[in-house]
Amino acid sequence: MKVEVSRRRFLQGSIALTIAGGYAMSPSEILASAKAKASESGQAGRKKIATLCEMCVNKCAAFAYVEDGVVTKLDPNPYFPKSRNMLCPRGNAGVQALYDPDRLKYPLIRDGEKGSGKFKRVSWDEAYKYIGDKLAQILDEEHDNRSTVAFCAGEGVAEHTFKNFFTGFGSSHFLNHASLCLATTVSGYALTIGGYGSADLVNADYVIMAGANRAEAIVTPDTMDFFKRTIGRGAKLITVDPRFTNTAAKSDKWIPLKVGTDLAFVLALTYVAINEEIYNKQFVATSFNNFEAYKNHILSSGYTPEWAQKITGIPAQDIYEVARTFMSHAPRAIYYQGRRTTWSKNDFQLRRAQALFSALGGGVDVKGGICFGKNLPLIGHDVPSPIYDNAKSRIDKNEAAVVGGSGSWVGFRNMILEGRNPYPIRALFNYKHNPMSNMPNSRKTAEFLKKLDLVVTIDTMPSDTVMLSDVILPECTYLERTDPVKSFGGIEPAIAQRNKVVEPLFETKAVIDIMRGLTKNISKQLFAVTKKYDTEVQDAIEKDGEESVYGDFDLTKAFYESQEELNHHAVANYPDAVQALEEKGVYYPDMDKYFKKLNVNNYEYYPESKKAYSVKNGKLATPSGKVECKIDSLVSKGIDAMPLWKDEYLKEIPDGKFNFITGRHAQFTQSGSSNNKLLLSLVPTNYAWINKRVATKRGIKFGDLIEVSSKVGKTTIRAYPTEKIGQDTLFFVHGFGNASSDLTLAHDNGGNDANILEDIIEPMHGATCLHETIVEIRKV
Amino acid sequence: MARFAMALDYKNCINCRACESACKQENGILLDKDHYRIWVGVKEIEGEFPNLSIASQAYYPSQCQHCDNAPCQQVCPTNATYYDQNGVVRINPEQCILCTYCINACPYDARYVDNRTITVDKCNFCADTRLANGETTTACQATCPTKVRIFGDLDDPNSEISQVLSKREYKQIKAGLGTKPKLFYLI
Repeated sequence: MKVEVSRRRFLQGSIALTIAGGYAMSPSEILASAKAKASESGQAGRKKIATLCEMCVNKCAAFAYVEDGVVTKLDPNPYFPKSRNMLCPRGNAGVQALYDPDRLKYPLIRDGEKGSGKFKRVSWDEAYKYIGDKLAQILDEEHDNRSTVAFCAGEGVAEHTFKNFFTGFGSSHFLNHASLCLATTVSGYALTIGGYGSADLVNADYVIMAGANRAEAIVTPDTMDFFKRTIGRGAKLITVDPRFTNTAAKSDKWIPLKVGTDLAFVLALTYVAINEEIYNKQFVATSFNNFEAYKNHILSSGYTPEWAQKITGIPAQDIYEVARTFMSHAPRAIYYQGRRTTWSKNDFQLRRAQALFSALGGGVDVKGGICFGKNLPLIGHDVPSPIYDNAKSRIDKNEAAVVGGSGSWVGFRNMILEGRNPYPIRALFNYKHNPMSNMPNSRKTAEFLKKLDLVVTIDTMPSDTVMLSDVILPECTYLERTDPVKSFGGIEPAIAQRNKVVEPLFETKAVIDIMRGLTKNISKQLFAVTKKYDTEVQDAIEKDGEESVYGDFDLTKAFYESQEELNHHAVANYPDAVQALEEKGVYYPDMDKYFKKLNVNNYEYYPESKKAYSVKNGKLATPSGKVECKIDSLVSKGIDAMPLWKDEYLKEIPDGKFNFITGRHAQFTQSGSSNNKLLLSLVPTNYAWINKRVATKRGIKFGDLIEVSSKVGKTTIRAYPTEKIGQDTLFFVHGFGNASSDLTLAHDNGGNDANILEDIIEPMHGATCLHETIVEIRKV
Repeated sequence: MARFAMALDYKNCINCRACESACKQENGILLDKDHYRIWVGVKEIEGEFPNLSIASQAYYPSQCQHCDNAPCQQVCPTNATYYDQNGVVRINPEQCILCTYCINACPYDARYVDNRTITVDKCNFCADTRLANGETTTACQATCPTKVRIFGDLDDPNSEISQVLSKREYKQIKAGLGTKPKLFYLI
């Protein structure tokens, strides 16, 4: 980010210090050091084990090398079509996550005021008993209303295992990252073209990436597929972003727009395509439902580029040019779906408009467009799903038009804080999720967590949420466990499996083992409460006997088998899959025949004729089987049938203030990687991007500490004055500035966006709007 | 015997620094911000928002150039810096006295004082961790998401690097100094 000081210059005066300096070494450094002394080969007894990365959500395939029981290196695993023989900086840093000295090591129970950070070490059985007693007491007081206990989880293949516990427990409340991330994008595309799909960036000739920063927010295989061929080799990239990202640096054109005005931009593109009749008429005739209505709406609303220029700040001429060039390349042209939304209140309509504009070119279910691909089905695993008569329905179901199975996290939290919950919420089970950092307005999240009688957190690191929990159950890292086998559908589908590389360190366990231990301890105790209050259960016992009825409520059943056994069962329909998944980590039918090394860097996974570009036979997975221009069923819930621009979407940024935006860079995932020593050696902290001229006017130089404050809170961060951002916008990367003092490297390092983001939710799914916050700054 | 070199399709570089991360883990580099064998050179962008020059924002992945005529080798008073049988510029930690002449002599700023090996260290094309075991890639090449690097033997006319260099235009950095660098930036 900053200009590096030449090491020759840096050297002057520093040599004595560097020789004398006694540096703390990480285990891998110690091992490397020992190895360097011992011999140069060190290959004897080196084991190579196939795993799947969990440094972010992508699940790229890796091989782990183990020497003398220590994981020394992770290398890319070439067999997986999704990750295409690569590991990003975070994937390479996985070893440091395994050997992080700050890891949670033993079960802990709070031993002081909530938030005091005081815990006592207990045995697993003590922890289970504590949880069982607390839950039994809560459920007794709440007359077996199971929904008084909520469950939340972060993304990952083992989320499924934790969810089996939730299902057996019988609560209505499951909350996960969807409403903090991509709920609106997924449903916007699904309700419009029948699925979120995968953008075929290998074959697309023209791509608009708006807000999607694939050079820094790495998504596989998109990042590799696209940037290998952007410059000088055919594919055109238009980046629309209020700041100049690494993605912008690889573009043919960078279009900075006013934050939150993307919808006006897309509507104007659509206007040009329809008004000039340059859309794919054949595709529209055969595959659009209600096109006339959309056409009339776009034209009569006057969504001209000149109109959009006033709102977005993008010159009308650029909008004409983009719309025309897009359509001239269509159907191999994509308005890229994006992730890590939601940005503003109109986000669902924005994603609908994007999908519609993309579809106008015909780039749906075809090579070079948005494809839906093929799936390789796995055999499911039956788990008990008992019905508890006293379990009430979700409290947050009316916080938005459609609140799905993963809830509106912020809506749920705020209802409880505002006392709008129809019945008490008493406890929270939290798996691998850090609401203190991932949810806007951390002050409210802290208040929420403190309000609960029991917060049980399963995690690997002492996150800010862990510090506000009552019971902490230490999970092992991804390199210490075998996880549920997963099928990855797409143009080149495959099945992949995370295999255990080394035994869990300390007293940590895989979540499936934690669930097995917990349910063994508490299942009967909780059933006793049900028996006391549930008249249906009482009747059934009278009729069939207690043992038989308990059989349906036995929480331990879902965890009888080991993960390895479950995985064998899941792939039983594929001969040779078990062995391939254990040795190579990856399996797909005819892999032996299809998989080929092309050259030193590249592999072929499927022959061209076997790639699943077009699978729908002209019938999309929407209610009408066509592209849905108009969704009338949502109107009664206050959701417009067609994307339209409203004046209320425009926000004024008062003089001297900034619109705050957040995002990612490639050397950091989220708070989950904030204590990673290797990654911090690449980028030691986050910086606030502020326009250089504005910074100069305010006397702010690179590295100066500034306080960023909003209506809801403040944070302190170092400044990075740059021309890569506009004068009314402020940006910094999410996930830094952790409060937990048990995170030696991450504690108080950089700015925390969760402190300043306002907790505004959009009307479709109650998803959080991340780009609606206005901030001011002051030099500290 | 080989003559190892690297071609870089540097225009594909997205400045993600996976190479740097892999290198640190592979070679046990101390996890300190001043310790790195490879890096991505970034120039601050030209222009004023919103009129910025995309072309001015280039990323140059870089490391030791393994010059055939290496100034660092020439100035080393103890012969700690030497060419190995594959033309890789190596350092013998037993002989390095930290005089740092090599740091000053290197026109590419490729060398640094390593607090673990107590050596003026630099990239060695993973000679000890990979090539010695018969592997034919470096950690940085293997891991790169956009496959910027092609590592191979210039003496083998059928190697991919030889093939690529015979077909595509390339430039070498500061070639005018007569160092004969073996990093080839593909245009």
